[in-house]
Amino acid sequence: MAQTTVSPPGSGADIPPPEEQSIGSRVMSYIFDIRFLGVLGQIAFILLLLVGAQRIFSNFGSNVDKLGRAQFICRDGRFAYRCAYDFMDNEAGFDIDDTALDYVNTDSFWWALTNGIVNTFRVGLLALVATTFLGTTMGIARMSDNWLVSRLSLAYIEIIRNTPILVQLLLIYFSVILALPDIKEAVQPFNLPIFLSNRGLIMAWPQFMSSASIWIAFLVLGVIQFQVMWMFLSRREEKTGQESSKFTWGLAGFLIIAAIGWIVSTAVAENEGLLIPNSSRIDEVEDFEKLMLARAGINHLSELAELPQEELDAVTLNVCVLRESSSEANFVNRLASEGIPFKISRNGSPAKAMAKYRDGSCEMFAAPKSVLAAEIATLETPTDHLIVPVKERPLVWSIPRFEKFNIIGGLLLTPEYFALFLGLTIFYAGGLAEVVRAGILSVSKGQTEAARALGLSEGQRLNLIVLPQALRVIIPPLISTYLSLMKDTSLGVAVAFQEVYLVSQTLMNQSGRALQIMIVLMIIYLSISIFFSAILNWYNDRVVIVER
Amino acid sequence: MASISTTTNKPPVQKRGTFSKRFNATYFLQDNITGSRGQLIWVIILTILTLGVLVQQLGNAPSRAWIIFGIWAVGVIGTVVGELFTLHIGATRWLKENMFNNVTNVLVTLLLALLLGIVCSGLWRWGVVNATFSPELTHPDVRTFDGASWGVLWGARKLLLTGLLGPEHNSRVIGWTLTILALWLMSFIGTRDSTRETTAGTFIRRVANTGWILSPFISYIFLAGLDYEAPFVDFRTLIVGTAIVTAIMGILWFFKVIQLNPVSTAAWVLAWPLSYLLWRTIAYVSFNAEIFSPIDPDKWGGLLLTVIFAIFVNILSFPIGILLALGRRADVQGIPWWLLWPVAILLTAWGLYTSTFGNCIGTPSFLCENVNLWATSRNGIERVISLWPLLIPLATWSFLRSFNGNFLQAFSVLFIEIIRGVPLITLLFMAIIMAPFFLPEDSQGLSNFWAVIVGYTIFTSSYMAELVRGGLQAIPNGQYEAADALGINTLQKYRFIILPQALRILIPPLAGAVIGTFKSSSLVALVGMIDLVGSTKAIIANSQWLGLRTELYVFMFVLYFLVSSVVSWYSRRLEDQSGLGVR
Repeated sequence: MAQTTVSPPGSGADIPPPEEQSIGSRVMSYIFDIRFLGVLGQIAFILLLLVGAQRIFSNFGSNVDKLGRAQFICRDGRFAYRCAYDFMDNEAGFDIDDTALDYVNTDSFWWALTNGIVNTFRVGLLALVATTFLGTTMGIARMSDNWLVSRLSLAYIEIIRNTPILVQLLLIYFSVILALPDIKEAVQPFNLPIFLSNRGLIMAWPQFMSSASIWIAFLVLGVIQFQVMWMFLSRREEKTGQESSKFTWGLAGFLIIAAIGWIVSTAVAENEGLLIPNSSRIDEVEDFEKLMLARAGINHLSELAELPQEELDAVTLNVCVLRESSSEANFVNRLASEGIPFKISRNGSPAKAMAKYRDGSCEMFAAPKSVLAAEIATLETPTDHLIVPVKERPLVWSIPRFEKFNIIGGLLLTPEYFALFLGLTIFYAGGLAEVVRAGILSVSKGQTEAARALGLSEGQRLNLIVLPQALRVIIPPLISTYLSLMKDTSLGVAVAFQEVYLVSQTLMNQSGRALQIMIVLMIIYLSISIFFSAILNWYNDRVVIVER
Repeated sequence: MASISTTTNKPPVQKRGTFSKRFNATYFLQDNITGSRGQLIWVIILTILTLGVLVQQLGNAPSRAWIIFGIWAVGVIGTVVGELFTLHIGATRWLKENMFNNVTNVLVTLLLALLLGIVCSGLWRWGVVNATFSPELTHPDVRTFDGASWGVLWGARKLLLTGLLGPEHNSRVIGWTLTILALWLMSFIGTRDSTRETTAGTFIRRVANTGWILSPFISYIFLAGLDYEAPFVDFRTLIVGTAIVTAIMGILWFFKVIQLNPVSTAAWVLAWPLSYLLWRTIAYVSFNAEIFSPIDPDKWGGLLLTVIFAIFVNILSFPIGILLALGRRADVQGIPWWLLWPVAILLTAWGLYTSTFGNCIGTPSFLCENVNLWATSRNGIERVISLWPLLIPLATWSFLRSFNGNFLQAFSVLFIEIIRGVPLITLLFMAIIMAPFFLPEDSQGLSNFWAVIVGYTIFTSSYMAELVRGGLQAIPNGQYEAADALGINTLQKYRFIILPQALRILIPPLAGAVIGTFKSSSLVALVGMIDLVGSTKAIIANSQWLGLRTELYVFMFVLYFLVSSVVSWYSRRLEDQSGLGVR
């Protein structure tokens, strides 16, 4: 082949014509061709792997047989490997304390696993955003011209990068968060509606009501308006040279549309209702003030503060709501803004709330109208009760309040979630700071000086000159930092946060099927990593095209 | 400025102590506060925040806050006076350049100093002022709850250092530690610039290098001990070992990576028999004298285990990483499509036949059941699963398309990417829980220690592979081409041209990987190993030290930090010595 036929062009006269070769030497030249040997070697390698795999799998087969075939019993009682995942439909039988989806321990293994996955993303994505902010801040602070700032961020980076994330996480969880004061003495930094205690972090949180969809539609409209306005103004600028503040106009238009959307959705919405007995003589929510005044025998609500505690308890409204529902936040906000004293009783389901309503332990029940309409029919005398419409705003703030020995409302980040979130953020921000610094330093000084010479402002210099060049260096390691962060959410097992790894460990203990669940777990993590790699490749391709 | 324009080149020399002529209030405001709306808002927010913290601190901890504020104020006044009246001394000039160069920095400095004061005084009070240091004062009945009880560190030193290892082995652990430290010290002295060229330095370095090569065996003797079983010499091991070493020598010689003369040939051939005999002799002697009795690796614990993991895994994973990296870059002729497709199609057909019609001839028993799956399937999902053989053509197609049939590359890429795509802890868990499933039925099973070593090495080696690949890619293409042009073969190319350059580039990232492995080894605590972090559980379960987690975690934090810092400092020294970027 190659050896016999190659002859440099133009030098044919110097080289004798190829000799006739014997069959044997021809075969030999094929055999000792490096390409042939390479292919042969690879085939041998494949065969070796197959033999190894076969050994391992036959070991596995016999081990499984020894352990009992119960692992692979189908629903019809037969044995088949294809039924390996049938058990996942069984009842999970364990609790997941901190879930975003509805989960009870009678749900299936699949649903428990799904909750685990959601928890992983819940903590991972938030930590990802926080890491980006903290890491960028630290990276820039590292290059600050203030000695104290740059030294402190250097110390932060060095300390964080030279210690294991596990120890940091354990310190944060056991020595910081669990050492916070009891919930009765929760720390409230700067008097903001944020409460830190050993039960985690509780903070005010906006909650979307059902009418929010209308408002969000308006917001989308506003964004489109912004784009159109921007385009229109820049075209005009190009044509006539008349300058205008595109951003201000666009923003103003956006705010106006958002405000209109707010008013419209408030006016149209009529989903929220309040179930009360006719005897209370309330037709509208505005009547509450009258009711309170009549009950307490006072002339103005401000006099409530002067009432003795027992009387105040007697006039307090008892309201039933569904646990963590947006109706609660809406109604509570309303009562609180009018200064009416109330007590909230939270219920897991409408049926439980109705039971309390029936036996009189709560006077009213606030929920969506559709729920109330279904429940009013279950009362003995439906005509004695009525559903009063409650005004709703598309977005309400659920604000934490003290109630007895607890804090109600707001968003609760459990200690486990909070610890994992903090641990991941602090650790990966240390690495990211170095990435950001390297990226910014990679832009040569001449670029900065050139930008200054052009008279660009500091902001313009950063936005137009430095960042586009630095990002090219920053983004690839940034994405692999993200990927490592997502993988390290599995450290939740150290602080008992039930993300997908811990949930699958519990699943293994519950079901005794280690292999099946391990395979699923691997697939989940691999999908995450493939997702990030795909983004990375896409970005790299794009940057390469821009470069040329 | 008018004053400057009067002279041509030099700015006017100002007399010390007179009011600066350069100062201009308008420019000052514009530079520092009113330059833009954003700057104004930023300065206002910063001022409010700083004042808020200052007022709060003046109320909470007046003396500390006053001291910080006082020092800050003196610094600011000194700087301002120095700047306005041209009276700078060294300190104020430094302050002006590094802390108080504009209004924002003046505020930020105060804010950070106050916050630093809070943190430091809190730590100081907890760790020193209110702390107890006596091991007798750690019991919950006598403990102080305002500060740390550092006594636990001394009290639990045994668990922290060696875990559950029996106290009778202490001397061996100490001996091993001293040996390693001595080697390290010798290397350090031998490579110092002042001793590097001297005869003594060279000698020390030689001894140290030999020691390092022997260190795995020395460590093994000290830490694992030797078990002796008759016969003294197992001839099979002797002959097979010699054959393998000689074969490696032959291959390296054939590809001209090494050159042979009578002495070196004898050294290669005799290397295995001599070391084997030496090893057996040591085993025999130590068995009869009962010096190095065997220790079960699962007994190792505490810091000892952490260090063993770090060393072991790093040493094992580096060569595997190099192999994987070379595999990933391998440029060999792929398996041609006309060889792959027929096999793939045959396999697919056979797989489909067995998976749907249940003919189990020649199938591993667990892949097949002797029923018509298509007919008995419970639902569509199971039917889809029974079509798994269709994956074979898909895999073949993507293999040919992405890798041109290059199996070496495909294997390395898949291995590296899959391992890098899953968290370390799942691999460790797999190694401990799943490994028994895949081992032969009659085997003793892997002890936890070895299982973790295997899982951890697999993980680290794929990261090492990526590092090495980065190093190989950093070598300019001209080097590869020049090597090819010289007509040397691939082995020679890598041995003499590429790897020596790549490894030098690799020092910083490798040091990072070594530190990373050392740090991540703490994760083995999560799969039940009693390493440094894992020993916490055992310690705080003791009634004497009940719940003293924080002290232990802080200790580990500091320890990890110190070791990592030393390693990274050492790597920088190595980097300087290798002349990276100089030569």
